[in-house]
Amino acid sequence: MAASKGSRADSVGRKLFEGYAPLDDTWDEFFAGQGQEAVRPAAQRVADHLNALSRADFRRLKRLADDTFLRSGITFTLYDEKGSTERIFPFDLIPRVIDAREWETVREGIVQRIRALNCFLADVYGAQRILEEGVVPRFLVEGSKAFRPELMGIRPPKDVWVHIAGVDLIRDGEGRFVVLEDNLRVPSGVSYVLENRETMKKTYPEVFRDSQVAAVESYPHKLREAMNAVAPGEGGRKRMAVLTPGPYNSAYFEHSYLARRIGCALVQGSDLFVDRDRVYARTTNGPTPIDAIYRRVDDDFLDPKVFRSDSLMGVEGLIGAWAAGNVAIVNAVGNGVADDKGIYPFVPDMIRFYLDEEILLPQVETRVCAREDDCRQVLDHLDEYVVKSVNEAGGYGMLMGPSASKRQLKEFRKRIEADPRNFIAQPRIELSSCPTWTSKGVEPRRVDLRPFAVTGDDTWVLPGGLTRVALRKGSYVVNSSQGGGSKDTWVVEAGR
Amino acid sequence: MISRVAESCFWLSRYLERIDTWSRVLDVNSSFRLDIPQSTPEQWRPLVIVLGQEADFLERIGAEHFEDAEVVQRYLVWDETNPSSILSAARAVRENARTIREVISVEMWALVNEFWLWINGRSARRLFDRDRDAFYARVNSHCLMFHGTRYSTMLHDTPYSFIVLGRAVERAGLVARVLDVHHHALRDREETSPADAAQWIAILRSCSAYEPFFKLSSSVLSGAAVAEFMLFDRTFPRSVMYNLDRTGGLLQQILRERPEALPPASQTAFERVIGSFIQMDVEDVLEVGLHETLTLIVDGVAQLCDAIEYDFFPAIDAVAPLGRRIESAPAPASPSSDSAPAPAP
Repeated sequence: MAASKGSRADSVGRKLFEGYAPLDDTWDEFFAGQGQEAVRPAAQRVADHLNALSRADFRRLKRLADDTFLRSGITFTLYDEKGSTERIFPFDLIPRVIDAREWETVREGIVQRIRALNCFLADVYGAQRILEEGVVPRFLVEGSKAFRPELMGIRPPKDVWVHIAGVDLIRDGEGRFVVLEDNLRVPSGVSYVLENRETMKKTYPEVFRDSQVAAVESYPHKLREAMNAVAPGEGGRKRMAVLTPGPYNSAYFEHSYLARRIGCALVQGSDLFVDRDRVYARTTNGPTPIDAIYRRVDDDFLDPKVFRSDSLMGVEGLIGAWAAGNVAIVNAVGNGVADDKGIYPFVPDMIRFYLDEEILLPQVETRVCAREDDCRQVLDHLDEYVVKSVNEAGGYGMLMGPSASKRQLKEFRKRIEADPRNFIAQPRIELSSCPTWTSKGVEPRRVDLRPFAVTGDDTWVLPGGLTRVALRKGSYVVNSSQGGGSKDTWVVEAGR
Repeated sequence: MISRVAESCFWLSRYLERIDTWSRVLDVNSSFRLDIPQSTPEQWRPLVIVLGQEADFLERIGAEHFEDAEVVQRYLVWDETNPSSILSAARAVRENARTIREVISVEMWALVNEFWLWINGRSARRLFDRDRDAFYARVNSHCLMFHGTRYSTMLHDTPYSFIVLGRAVERAGLVARVLDVHHHALRDREETSPADAAQWIAILRSCSAYEPFFKLSSSVLSGAAVAEFMLFDRTFPRSVMYNLDRTGGLLQQILRERPEALPPASQTAFERVIGSFIQMDVEDVLEVGLHETLTLIVDGVAQLCDAIEYDFFPAIDAVAPLGRRIESAPAPASPSSDSAPAPAP
């Protein structure tokens, strides 16, 4: 009893980063090495400010921040056998800091990538030049679960397919940002970016003022602009709506938040209907036409006439109205074929093919088992690779070679040999780490980054994005369902 | 506005009004029983009856507890199976608010959410056990704060009108129910007993009408005077007349924006209620019978609510009527006229 009291008293006086030790072979976002003087230039000012806090101060701030989230209802819903509970998304008060100059190169890379992926979608559902010329294998596109042959020949307004993209980035052991995957369907998380920022401003006003952090607040405005740009019709006020699966969806908070910030209606499928290829909302004044829909409902459920006929969340005839050019659907339908794991390795080729440029932002070197020599390489060194099934998501059908058992390796070898086209393989990347508050003080935890790009007449990238952090010691998994949390991401000018 | 959202606005304030009313009624009922002679036969059972929960109470709690103040209060405040309990209503308020967060103001949401976190947590239970008056007062002040916040922070457009409309119709119906609880005491009689006087005061207090009544009413305290004030006063915000007036004004405002092709069932239903009520005075009421008049109001308001539902938020599976309405409206001619800012035809 006495001993624990003593150690508590010690820790109260200790500075936040005292004794912080970055992980081996891992790039740390704050410290280039051991010791306080090894702090990276962009993180210097933040580190100084945070170090002026004692651990007790920090604990108090954290309680305040958690309380703010709970009281303003920024929560997600977990369902289990005992019913539903609302949780706050665990938030870490130590920001992740990125140098503005480095960010500029990331931004350019994202813009280039989105341009190419957009060309790819227009091509795949149109002339299919890239398949004709054999740059991307036809079987991969046609075999993708997310490819929608029903949509062939449809051209969305202004030929924009990817209005909102979440491009997941990680840093490798040398600190280079690389693209891990693209999310071009209904990427989520941006409301946390905006709310995290609000909370940080309230929590550390003085750190914030001194650090010249790039603003993220214009996101809803940019989204509105983009929707306005693609909504059919001339000038005037376009009528927009955010389409949600409903209040029991775990991301309902975000749907409602965005509708609020855009200043448009939040609708469920049953609030809309289609009459003669025109979409209407059921309003208190009778049917009102809708020009643009930011949908947060998956393709499968969007229109029971075209996709899953048992869908209750969709709007019958919506795809017809879209095909007729009477409504903009944001993001376009069928985008999943471009963020498919099997297509990902070909993005550098797409960039060359459509833009005649070299890829600016590298991506993880990927072996495509459909190619014979790649497949041999993977099978010979199976215990060094992370192998993913192209048609499965959420960690299913995945082999973590370096940590797999002999039996798992043997079983996967059989599966790859039986159907090599279904697999890709990547080396395991040592995700970068960032100082993170834990029950034992500040320790390194691994992070990724999801920047958000919005495209209407042109592409705008939100500075920074959602940093997700694996809160469990030693974990590489950043998903909120598996012990992940988030951090605010600060793009700052070094030396300011 | 989206019909489903209008419906949530309407119900949000109806549930809130129930909390507001019952917190006051329960508070008054529990403190005023001290002033009422032992001989007063029923103090709690009528509350359960006017809430429409008599059968449920009989079945789950039992007739022997009808006059047990603690049991009835717990049933009306905490029982989650009772859809009329304060806790159930608070949940409904919060769920409705959560569904329409994009429509209400941030401040309104924060208030509703805070109220829910409090009443669903331990500290509300502690307060209920330790200081009943303070508990009811806190519940009540949350409801008042909501309406103050709504008035000052939300756009005063259609969603707002539906929130206020929900409150007005609910209030008219609830006040009628509260009066009905004590309708025996309100009959005009030669002799007034101290028990009667205590009940009149209880009625006034349950509607925060005690001071307003004495400010305005020239007559002495009597059953007829209380009934007259609660039914017909046009300046007291909880009287039946005040709320019917308000309902009429709001309906007119909402219907003004509506295409003429759509038949306003709510207007017709409203005229039916107000038509029978407006020609009465307190003498007529007492002649017909107070209970009968109150029943007329309660039923009329219920029909009005059905009509409002039919006009503005028909059930989702009633796709046909909406489809028909489109046919009868002029179809948009060209893409450019589609995007014009005017409301839909």
